[in-house]
Amino acid sequence: MIRFLLKGLLRDKSRSRTPVMVVAIGVMLTVFVHAYITGFMGDTIEMNAKFSYGHLKVMTKAYAENMSQVPNDLALLDVSELQNKLNKQFPGIIWAPRIQFGGLIDVPDKNGETQAQGPAIGMGLDMLSGKSRENERLEIQKSLVRGNLIREPGEALISEQFSQKLQVNPGDEVTLISSTMDGSMAMYNFRIAGTVSFGAESLDRGTIITDIEDVRQALNMYDAAGELIGFLPDGFYDDEEALKITQNFNAGYADSSDEFDPVMKSLSQQGNMGQYVSLLKVWSAYISLIFVVAMALVLWNAGLLGGLRRYGEFGVRLAMGEEKKHVYRTLIYESVFIGIAGTVVGTAFGLFFAALLQKYGIDISGMMEGASMMMPSVIRARITPADYYLGLIPGLMATVIGSMLAGVGIYKRKTSQLFKEMEA
Amino acid sequence: MKLFITILLTGITTLSFGQPGADEILEKVDRNMSSENRIFESSMTIHGKRNSRTITSKTYSVGDKKAFTEYLSPPREQGTKMLKLENQLWIYSPSTDRTIQIAGHMLRQSVMGSDLSYEDMMDDRKLTDTYNAVVVGSEEMSGRKTWKLELKAKVDNVAYASRKLWVDSERFVPLREELYAKSGQLLKRSTMSDVVQIEGRWFPKTVVYKDMLKQGDGTEFKIIEIQFNQELPEYIFSKAALKR
Amino acid sequence: MKTALKLAYRNLIGAGLRTWLNVIVLSFSFVVIIWMKGVLVGWDHQAKTDMANWEIGGGQYWHENYDPFDPFTFTESHTAVPEEFKTEIAAGNMEPMLVVQGTIYPQGRMQPVIIRGINPGQNIFKLPTQKLDTLTEAIPAIIGSVAARNLRVQTGDYVTIRWRDTNGMFDAAEIIITGVFSCNVPAVEAGKVYIPLEKLQSMVQLEGEATILTFRDSEKERPAIENWTLKPQSELTKSIDEIIQTKTAGQSVFYGILLLLAMLAIFDTQVLSIFRRQKEIGTYVALGYTRREVVGLFTVEGAMHSILAALVAAAYGIPFLAWQAKAGWTMPMDVSEYGMAVAQTLYPVYSTGLIVSTVFIVVLTTTIVSYWPSRKIAKMNPTEALRGRLQ
Repeated sequence: MIRFLLKGLLRDKSRSRTPVMVVAIGVMLTVFVHAYITGFMGDTIEMNAKFSYGHLKVMTKAYAENMSQVPNDLALLDVSELQNKLNKQFPGIIWAPRIQFGGLIDVPDKNGETQAQGPAIGMGLDMLSGKSRENERLEIQKSLVRGNLIREPGEALISEQFSQKLQVNPGDEVTLISSTMDGSMAMYNFRIAGTVSFGAESLDRGTIITDIEDVRQALNMYDAAGELIGFLPDGFYDDEEALKITQNFNAGYADSSDEFDPVMKSLSQQGNMGQYVSLLKVWSAYISLIFVVAMALVLWNAGLLGGLRRYGEFGVRLAMGEEKKHVYRTLIYESVFIGIAGTVVGTAFGLFFAALLQKYGIDISGMMEGASMMMPSVIRARITPADYYLGLIPGLMATVIGSMLAGVGIYKRKTSQLFKEMEA
Repeated sequence: MKLFITILLTGITTLSFGQPGADEILEKVDRNMSSENRIFESSMTIHGKRNSRTITSKTYSVGDKKAFTEYLSPPREQGTKMLKLENQLWIYSPSTDRTIQIAGHMLRQSVMGSDLSYEDMMDDRKLTDTYNAVVVGSEEMSGRKTWKLELKAKVDNVAYASRKLWVDSERFVPLREELYAKSGQLLKRSTMSDVVQIEGRWFPKTVVYKDMLKQGDGTEFKIIEIQFNQELPEYIFSKAALKR
Repeated sequence: MKTALKLAYRNLIGAGLRTWLNVIVLSFSFVVIIWMKGVLVGWDHQAKTDMANWEIGGGQYWHENYDPFDPFTFTESHTAVPEEFKTEIAAGNMEPMLVVQGTIYPQGRMQPVIIRGINPGQNIFKLPTQKLDTLTEAIPAIIGSVAARNLRVQTGDYVTIRWRDTNGMFDAAEIIITGVFSCNVPAVEAGKVYIPLEKLQSMVQLEGEATILTFRDSEKERPAIENWTLKPQSELTKSIDEIIQTKTAGQSVFYGILLLLAMLAIFDTQVLSIFRRQKEIGTYVALGYTRREVVGLFTVEGAMHSILAALVAAAYGIPFLAWQAKAGWTMPMDVSEYGMAVAQTLYPVYSTGLIVSTVFIVVLTTTIVSYWPSRKIAKMNPTEALRGRLQ
């Protein structure tokens, strides 16, 4: 009988094509919106992850205690060894060593005397090894105002506002005055490669970004890093996964009381991100629920309409002696096929569009004054496992319920009445 | 001979007044410790949370006004030079080939990570010019009899409102100094030891500086070799000499 | 027209469940769009109000050298409070604040700290400055909860701070934490302690001087004062506008999809009703209706969904939205590390403009979507239609 019904559906396009299309569009929207909401709401998390917390962060225990101070004297040592170990233990996660530091940027005049000076916040990022993809991650290219990205050792990016204050231009040389890991005075020359905009006043005032190897040399931090930031393989934060990894890693140091042993923290264990992560879960579920309910109503309606369209046909079938029960059952079966077909097609399209949006994003920078690093200028979707089955609720269930309700009419009306409707 | 006279003089004053005046003691400390110029090699050991580091340097100085220091080790600091002229301070770093003047708030930074700030090194006014000193008694310290002096600022542009000084009553070497905030809170303490006689002067070879508000073991400053009253070429004390 | 409306209404209600499903979905669109937009507006309001309440009042005068991001400027950024403000200050409508860079030593660790002198009796800021008004041996101080956590101190703890007076002389004393406050404006508490203004002035020998003057009234025209830079409220809250812009852009996509969904339903309904009611259409034409009038009839019928939806939305939306406006929506956005003012709970604010524009947009799109399939009617052959032939 299934084959018979399928044949009917395939041959009568008005019975299959339109309903499947409607269901597919509905499911597609649901899947897409869910991915979009997850991406959009998770944006703040990813922004924080990229800039300060990572999905995971490894520090020394002592550094973790005083994280707000960015105490480089408590930095991790032998980072490459630790990084190898992490790569082996947790394949797929990308680790990026970072050093934050403070200092002064001193601009020389042509005699080498100080011409301008200003306090700076510094970030040493792994820009040149090609292993950590920091350039991409922070979308530095987009926020570049003048000049180029860092291409070789000894180059630095500074915030545009800072460059104006110091009156320096790409190509100029400046000296960083800071203190080494042990507190000695450190001086190091950088050539300005370009200027960037962050979009946060505190950073735009005076920030310098350089390759971590330069910072290590400058601050006497050979193979050291303040923090080792980890990003999960698919590039999105997953709290359960992150907590599992964190537990695994920390178990290896559970017995040690050395305050310079490494400790790992998930994003949700830093600052007040934990609160945000849990609220995000609840709220994206909420918004998705509203949407799924709305979608279910629409598809229910579609199922209802699909049933109504065919009252005439039912009349004929009943007249020919088919039992009401049988007509009703075939109607439900058909709607199941339509629901499944629509859900599969819709989910596929929804995932396809979501994947596009995840990869390329919607550029909203046109709506804002200039691109900057701290403000997301691109909205991205994020596909989560839920997207693979979420479409079933409106796609299959609502469609079937719709048909069931529409089919009630078969029982309510007399055969002759249904038959008459065929004319309509 | 000088020592003899010093001791003799001390004896006399002690005998005649029972207790010397504070200014007189400071005067004698000055006479004992200062010289027209000096050249010394020293080491500074900084006890960090993780490790201890020792930095060695060679310093040429004339009076309190001019000083030129060249760092000898570790390799990272080697070649770093520091020039102080009156109340100005420049640092030259060979890796950047830049000479930077340390001024304003930068003076408040610690010297090479120690408990000493650049500013602590900079104040070269005589104690008697900036403080009113009184002897408040005598105490025994590391087996030596000392005069305990209390100094109160008489000008308001000094960093420390008051100081306490323990001076060896025979050798006129300070054995301990404490620096106080206006509120009377103890801020820093230096303890001198290894007092030896060099070219007729008594000199503490080891000084431990400690920031009393901060945890840690402080900074140990040791004289490895010291010479007084040498021929010093004047060009050493010029900014040009930093780059050489 | 009246008949058309009546007819449309009857037809709609007659369709029963189908209509109501559409109406409910559409009403969702109304409520959700108004609510989400309201949250954003509320966020904007809240962030600005919080900033005003905790940090900037109705605007400020900064000493011309003052740069909050460069503590090294603090030593040169103070001067006597201008004579012309004395009465305003006496009335409590302007508060001077002195800002000094110092060092704090919690448990022997050394950390830089910004010491802010504030009048304990002030009521421009929500800071619990009344807790500074106590007699203790140590200097009473209040501190933010995040700062307290970072320094690992709590109410009742004594901590040593060190500072230098205006001549550079060191001074140190103990402060006692008499209050820990929590606020949504990270800049207010990050690395700062608050002590009584007069105490700080005497500590650093800057009697009668200030770094920041905060006034209560944001409306009043403010003159330029020598040595002081006027920072109006709008300038100080600029960063909030930027974040809101981003969020608005992100949400519009969501509204779009939500509307699309509702329109899918309307469209489907319209197509079906035109398909099933060809006989009726034929009859209208036979009765002398022009085709345009028939198209109009069907369009009105479709568009009426949105009117009904507005009514339904009002029925459950008004109580919901009102409750939200009162109870708030909790959503902490942690951009706080970088100094953004964001509240934990947002109270949506719905303006008339917001509601009218939302209703307008929904009704307009519904009408367009209803009209679209109805155009088919214009192409129909009336006789065929009258006979109920499928076309």
